[in-house]
Amino acid sequence: MGKHPTPSELLPGTLDLLILRTLAPGPMHGYGIAHRLQQVSDDVLQVGESSLYPALQRLLLNGWVKAEWGASENNRRARYYTLTAAGRKQLVSEREEFTRMIGAIQKVLDTA
Amino acid sequence: MANERIDLPQGTLDLLILRTLALAPQHGWGISERIQQISSDVLQVQQGSLYPALHRLERRGWIKARWGISENSRRAKYYELTRAGRKQLETEAGAWRKLSAAVAQVLDMA
Amino acid sequence: MTPSVQTWLDRAWRRVVFRWRRTQLNRELAEEIESHRLLKEAENSRAGLSPQAARELSNRQMGNIEMAKEDCRDMWSFLRVERLVHDLRLAARLFGRNPGFTVIAVLSLAIGIGGNAAMFTLVDKLLVRPLPYFEPDRLVRVTGIYPRAAVPFFQQQSRTMDVAAVSTGSEYNLTGQGEAVRIFGAAASANLFSVLGPPVAQGRAFEPGEDAPGRDSVIIISDALWKNKFGRDPSILGRVITVNGMNRQIVGIMPPGFSFPSSNIEAWLPLRLDPSNFIEYWGSGWVPFVSRIRPGANVRQAQAEVRALVAQFKKTFPYPMARDWNANSTAIPLQDDLVGDIRGTLLILFSSVGTVLLIACTNVASLLLSRATTRRKEIALRVALGAGRLRIVRQLLTESVLLALIGGGLGILLGMSALSVFKSVLPSSTPGLAAAAIDWRVAGTIAALALLTGLAFGIAPALSASQIDLAGCIRTGSQRSTTSAWTRLRSCLIAAEVALTVLLVVSAGLLMRSLYTLSEVHTGFQPEHILTVRISPNQSSCTERAACIALYGRILDSARGIAGVGDAAIANTLPLDADQPYLAVDIEGRPKSADYPAPLVWSGAISPGYIRMMHIPLLAGREFTEADGANSAGVLLITPSTARIFWPGESPIGKHIRRAGEPQWRTVVGVVGDVRQYSLAQDRPAWVPGAMYMPYAQSTREDGQIYAAMTLLVKGTADSGRLGHEIRSLAEEQDPNVPVSQVQPLEDVVSGSISDFRSTIRVFLSFAGAAILLAAIGIYGLVSYWVTQRTFEIGVRVAMGATRQRIVSIVLAQGLRVAVYGAGAGIVAALAVTRFLASLLYGVTATDPVTFVAVTALVLAVTITATAFPAWRAARIDPVKSLRVD
Repeated sequence: MGKHPTPSELLPGTLDLLILRTLAPGPMHGYGIAHRLQQVSDDVLQVGESSLYPALQRLLLNGWVKAEWGASENNRRARYYTLTAAGRKQLVSEREEFTRMIGAIQKVLDTA
Repeated sequence: MANERIDLPQGTLDLLILRTLALAPQHGWGISERIQQISSDVLQVQQGSLYPALHRLERRGWIKARWGISENSRRAKYYELTRAGRKQLETEAGAWRKLSAAVAQVLDMA
Repeated sequence: MTPSVQTWLDRAWRRVVFRWRRTQLNRELAEEIESHRLLKEAENSRAGLSPQAARELSNRQMGNIEMAKEDCRDMWSFLRVERLVHDLRLAARLFGRNPGFTVIAVLSLAIGIGGNAAMFTLVDKLLVRPLPYFEPDRLVRVTGIYPRAAVPFFQQQSRTMDVAAVSTGSEYNLTGQGEAVRIFGAAASANLFSVLGPPVAQGRAFEPGEDAPGRDSVIIISDALWKNKFGRDPSILGRVITVNGMNRQIVGIMPPGFSFPSSNIEAWLPLRLDPSNFIEYWGSGWVPFVSRIRPGANVRQAQAEVRALVAQFKKTFPYPMARDWNANSTAIPLQDDLVGDIRGTLLILFSSVGTVLLIACTNVASLLLSRATTRRKEIALRVALGAGRLRIVRQLLTESVLLALIGGGLGILLGMSALSVFKSVLPSSTPGLAAAAIDWRVAGTIAALALLTGLAFGIAPALSASQIDLAGCIRTGSQRSTTSAWTRLRSCLIAAEVALTVLLVVSAGLLMRSLYTLSEVHTGFQPEHILTVRISPNQSSCTERAACIALYGRILDSARGIAGVGDAAIANTLPLDADQPYLAVDIEGRPKSADYPAPLVWSGAISPGYIRMMHIPLLAGREFTEADGANSAGVLLITPSTARIFWPGESPIGKHIRRAGEPQWRTVVGVVGDVRQYSLAQDRPAWVPGAMYMPYAQSTREDGQIYAAMTLLVKGTADSGRLGHEIRSLAEEQDPNVPVSQVQPLEDVVSGSISDFRSTIRVFLSFAGAAILLAAIGIYGLVSYWVTQRTFEIGVRVAMGATRQRIVSIVLAQGLRVAVYGAGAGIVAALAVTRFLASLLYGVTATDPVTFVAVTALVLAVTITATAFPAWRAARIDPVKSLRVD
């Protein structure tokens, strides 16, 4: 694993999951999502734009988020993303799955 | 939700293999069996990913192979960790733990 | 994590929407990302950086924006479709930039695929499609021909088959319905239609017993005759028409498209089975059989039964038959029989067309191979930019498939015109020929063929191009790669092309020589300035011999009176005509036996001026004169070959011959030169040992009657169109019910006899020409590529003092080497294969050395021509330029 680990190195689809989780409390724009992830993980997770925006498009395509234009902090236009009902359902199921997988890997890594 | 075949990312798979070999040398089939067993069948490593990974690790010098006799008295290639491999395992395992902790934090945030 | 079907549909719908609003989305994405960056810049400023530094940092922090935008765009589109469209556009641009390559490749493919489309249609329609009769696989033809007496015998005795008989067809006079015309009709046993199967469209078929005398005055007409002669008159059924002087009632009309046994049959009359008419029942007008195998029996049983029945029937003959008469008779499935005679021609055409396609594909494969290697730099660059090997292979394959599809489309168009050419080569009476046309089944198969061809010859170059050594390529500029296995493969391909070309050209050459020899053959007569007209009164009007003799006497006199006419004569048949009159004869001094039955002799009935008019040489004795009339002693003229066979070593003058069974002997009074009566290749078939002429007034047919239908020959300087009209009117003057037909110059008859062969040759020549062209292109491509590869080396040689001649000879040697190997293989193959052409050849053997040598020389000459330009280019290589590492 490289110096700047990306969530995809954990399991595929982790980034989608993280984004969904971040949007659960309320709408956010791209910069905000990246910032929040960085904050909550104590700077471990640095999501680059090259992975963030394509992931957001993917979520849009799957109908798990929707986007609307609004004003950002510096009074410029920015797109705000919100979880849809389907998105919320997806969050729950993906999270379960993720926990299961991580748990399994953890078990292997912990064997004496 | 059924057991879909998740393609583990390279790094994770390498890590699992190194960890399994940390206990004792094992041949390819044994490695995938063990992983499956310990994870209660959640993790099923396909041959198509296992052997390229083994070659990759061998090329990097983290494992080495030798021929031996298997349980059913057949010739089999056994893999074992090298010293460099052990060091790599520690580094990787540490990084992995940090990452998964970070992700967990995000998932659990209020 | 996988969406359900509903979700999949939603996704697909969203993709469509995204795709549609792409430009807007692009703009919005750019704006969104820029906005993000500005926020980062603000953050950096807050952290204390200068505005400049803040901006630079924010730019770096954003990472690889372009790739991110690309990935986003991927979400919006149907990736695979987009990629395909992109590949296609790229391919189209590539073709546009290299018109020469594109044109050659497309043309090669079009020629190959078009020819195959036409051949496939023919094979499908003529050989493979089942006959339009009921359960056609149970129909067989019994081989051999049989006298009418055999019909009831076989019908009653056969347990495995229902036997019917139908003649091959002859001309009949149809009179009493406006203009007198000749129609082509077949005489059939009453059960023919029930044996074949298809019901009449209107009216009825023959009833059982209608082939007995007294009940046989009926006739069934074809749909074509109903349309052409009677204008589809709805009241035609029941009408009485006059055929050959006999009244017949039309009782049935067959459905359109039905025409058994050949496509020019317009009517069916009952085959009269009259045991009391000995000559007709046992002697004349023998017929072939067609039978349907009864349920419960099979072909093998039928074949065994045929042999047994033939043996039994032979014993019932009232006169001795040859011991081996019809001994090999058997039953063959009708399908095989009907197409048997064209199967050979079709197969030859098919294999040659297939060969041309093979050559075309080889060429294009070789062309693509060379292009791929010259595009190495471009490909190396794309690999460096991140395109996967699969992607490159896919794009190259798209190119070849596109090429193949364009070539295939063009090929179908070409195929349609090729089809009409092929159709002209086959005999026009082949069933189903006129209707053969390219339909969607063929088009579909051709599309598949084109696709397969594209994939086949795209694979090798695609694989080759994707295996390049990246670093090596970019460093040395790709011009000095070593000879790989692919280049060797190319040389082998081109050599194979040359071999196939040699094969085709040798075949074409042999056929051409045959044609030339045939057309130069000495026919034994001189046809110049002679116009022929067929005059055919009903046979019944000549039962009184004197009447017909007088009729023709008057016609001859009137004809000689026409301005511009030098001489006139009559004859019962023309040389090279379809009609071959044979008589069984007795020869005085040679008794008949079972092993030596009465020999068949070609017999002509002529007026005295005929021999002179045709410039047939008189070799001994005298010609006929007016004195040899109906009441004079019977006289004959024979040919030298006849004399040699019947009276070897003696003079034939004074010897006696008569028609088998005649009371009086006829005397040979003269010997005239042999004439090619049967075909340009033969005077007569092998089983007819002799030829003789009788004066018309003394002539006799098999049935003892005088010939009613004769051909009038008129020699003169008059314009043939006007002459035709004049003859028609003078014949009408004599008797308006006498049809006049087939007005044609004698020269046309002669050339018409090989017109089919000539057409076949033309087709072959075009194949051979196409093959030579393609092979030349292939060699040119190969040598040209070789020169480009060796530019450096050649430059070195020139720098070291090699003369231009030396360079040219080196390049020539390259081309010649491939050509020589190919030609060698081709000659070996040709020696093995041309024997299959043997039946078509005349005057040359299948391994004629002159032809082989000439073709080899031609191929070498073509090679040298094809190598000329690259050689000249090589000789002009400037060592200064080439030695500079590119």
